[in-house]
Amino acid sequence: MNGSVIFGGFFAGSAAVVLALWLALDLPLRLLPLGNRYQLWFASLAFSLALLAYTLELSRRNLVRLVGVVVLLAVLIGTLAASSETAFDRSNIFELLSRQGALGVITIGAALIILTGGIDLSIGSVVGLSAVAFGTLMESGVSPVASLGLVLALGVAVGLTNGLLVTQLRLQAFLVTLCGMFVFRGFAREINKKQTGLVLAKENHPEMAESIDGLRALLVGKTENGALEFPAMLVVMLLFASIVAVILHKSAHGRYWFAIGYNDRAARYAGIGVERQRIAVFVIGSTLAAFAGVLLLLNTGTADPTNAGGSLELYAITAAVLGGVSLKGGECTAIGLVLGALVQPVINNLMTFLEIRQSAEPWVIGLILLLGTIADELIRRDAFGSIRRYFLRRA
Amino acid sequence: MRPFALVAFASLLAALPACTGKSGTGKVKVAVVTNCTDPFWTICEAGAKQSAKDNDVELVFRQPAKLEVASQMEIVEALLKTGIKGLAISVINPKEQTPDLTRIASQVNLLTMDNDAEKSGRLCYIGIDNYEAGKEVGRMVKRALPEGGTVAIFIGETTSHNAHGRIAGVLDELEGKDNRADITAGKYREQYGKFKLHRKEPITDSTEPDKVLNNASDALEQLKNTPNVAMVGLYNSNPKGILESARSKSLVGKIKIVGFDENPVTLEGIDKGEIEGTVVQDPYNYGYESVKWLAHMAKGGDKKALPTKATQHRLVTKTGEKVAGVEVPIYKASEYAKKIRDSLEAGK
Repeated sequence: MNGSVIFGGFFAGSAAVVLALWLALDLPLRLLPLGNRYQLWFASLAFSLALLAYTLELSRRNLVRLVGVVVLLAVLIGTLAASSETAFDRSNIFELLSRQGALGVITIGAALIILTGGIDLSIGSVVGLSAVAFGTLMESGVSPVASLGLVLALGVAVGLTNGLLVTQLRLQAFLVTLCGMFVFRGFAREINKKQTGLVLAKENHPEMAESIDGLRALLVGKTENGALEFPAMLVVMLLFASIVAVILHKSAHGRYWFAIGYNDRAARYAGIGVERQRIAVFVIGSTLAAFAGVLLLLNTGTADPTNAGGSLELYAITAAVLGGVSLKGGECTAIGLVLGALVQPVINNLMTFLEIRQSAEPWVIGLILLLGTIADELIRRDAFGSIRRYFLRRA
Repeated sequence: MRPFALVAFASLLAALPACTGKSGTGKVKVAVVTNCTDPFWTICEAGAKQSAKDNDVELVFRQPAKLEVASQMEIVEALLKTGIKGLAISVINPKEQTPDLTRIASQVNLLTMDNDAEKSGRLCYIGIDNYEAGKEVGRMVKRALPEGGTVAIFIGETTSHNAHGRIAGVLDELEGKDNRADITAGKYREQYGKFKLHRKEPITDSTEPDKVLNNASDALEQLKNTPNVAMVGLYNSNPKGILESARSKSLVGKIKIVGFDENPVTLEGIDKGEIEGTVVQDPYNYGYESVKWLAHMAKGGDKKALPTKATQHRLVTKTGEKVAGVEVPIYKASEYAKKIRDSLEAGK
């Protein structure tokens, strides 16, 4: 019944399977031009799953926090499988995993900030600004890799600003990032008056076409005509998640973050540099959001300054909470974030496959999330104790 | 009692299929995907449903929550996997969506409506030419203010293809010059012919209802002492927003209002003489024609029968009488409003 053993075994097993697949595919793929990319993906997958397994920290408390989201996912995926015979086709599964990866990247950032007792409402706007900036830079001839670097630097700057305002001026994170939400949206609209995109960048600079397509293929797994050949964004997300897992569960920084979120004052008295840690977390969050912006442009091919990334912060926060993050701070597991980010894309996919009435869609989505949260909370409170007692009483 | 919460959750999910429109009729299935959620598309859906009945196909009609390519493509990709035999789509960004649409056109019968992507390999386009429709609006402004004056332009956003076409159409007609390249690049000037452009750019509201109203109110406050003002609303909700704020400030009649699309409030305002007129697109027919041609193709019909020209826009005025210089059909506002009500009723 030891949860750590079960989960750890599961992930170690998955890592082994991926590794075996990688080795098995190695030879045939060497003959294909795509070979290198597949190798990199599989290697990254194996690496990140192994790290996640290694860092798994499943106390009974953590395990209980994960049961809810696992049950919710199982029910949703079961319903999806039953909805249509094509729902489990490889192409749909890849599509789903890809979207889950995209959501996961920002979920990790949002969760770390919540863990340390903050909140970041500017995520969606930062995603939008980064996507637009990334496209605009490439349109003006900056190479894709350099653009990526500049956009990540932008993310660092945004996080630093948020962090400094919150820690040095002692402003509420809610307010600072709410203002940021408007400011960064405005910046996006200032730097480009129209929709930006890969086709335009390639038209302006045909010499960069190959490297743009290359970056797109590597990071989101799409070919130049937009066909999804591999859910690479999931790999990207798992890589981030596994690195964060090491920091969270195996390093002193992670311990500090839990302490700060759980009791800010106690952490301060214990000699933790609370301000510095907080700033670091804001920087990580915004940088991940900036990276998500790059992924958004590469995946969709286009970004509109007026609405790209809009309300993504809310999806990220919801995913984090479903994954066991407490909005009060001080609670979070890396594996929970991965699981939490899987939920929303499955729900959206389900709406199409079940052909839910248009008017019913918003309340159906809202109710699923609400009831998922309620079930999660109930399980969390007493870990099936009441169910067991209920049935024992009956017997 | 707690176990019941879990049971309730499980049963809600189990009951989900009851909310679905799945009929399992075995009929050919076609899909229409719009660019966002809007009353405009509700009229389109009524037409599409009627057409699905008339042409004996199963219809999936989806309106993405946001006017954003990412939301739209999430729906499209999922629909493709449900075994649809044809797709009609209102393209959001023609240039950038072309590669994706080309791939989709190789999988299913694809046609564009409302907004085109010419090079995507779509079978045909059902919709108006937004630039020409914008020029029609410009002509209305010129008729309302023959001496020139100040014009304020309100629109949801200035980044989409549709928006560029409409804005450029209006300003080009006012100036008599082609400014399309500048407008696509987001460059505006203060003076267009005899008209001054208020705030030197169109005023945007992201189609948020309160912002639509507030933008119009603010502009009215700024311009209430300026003579010869025309306010132009280029998205469905804009003429309504302008009219409502003009009513609240008792400025109706003092400024000229020119509209776009067939919002019921707009049509009512035209009928009362509060709005000069509006240029309409006929979304009911977009839906009807889209499904008709998708059904035609799915049943092995001839490609040559497909429409090859853009649909003509139309003008709605108070009287519906002939106007010099207008070549498109003109409708009387009260009759046009009734026509829409009837078609919505029939769609239910």
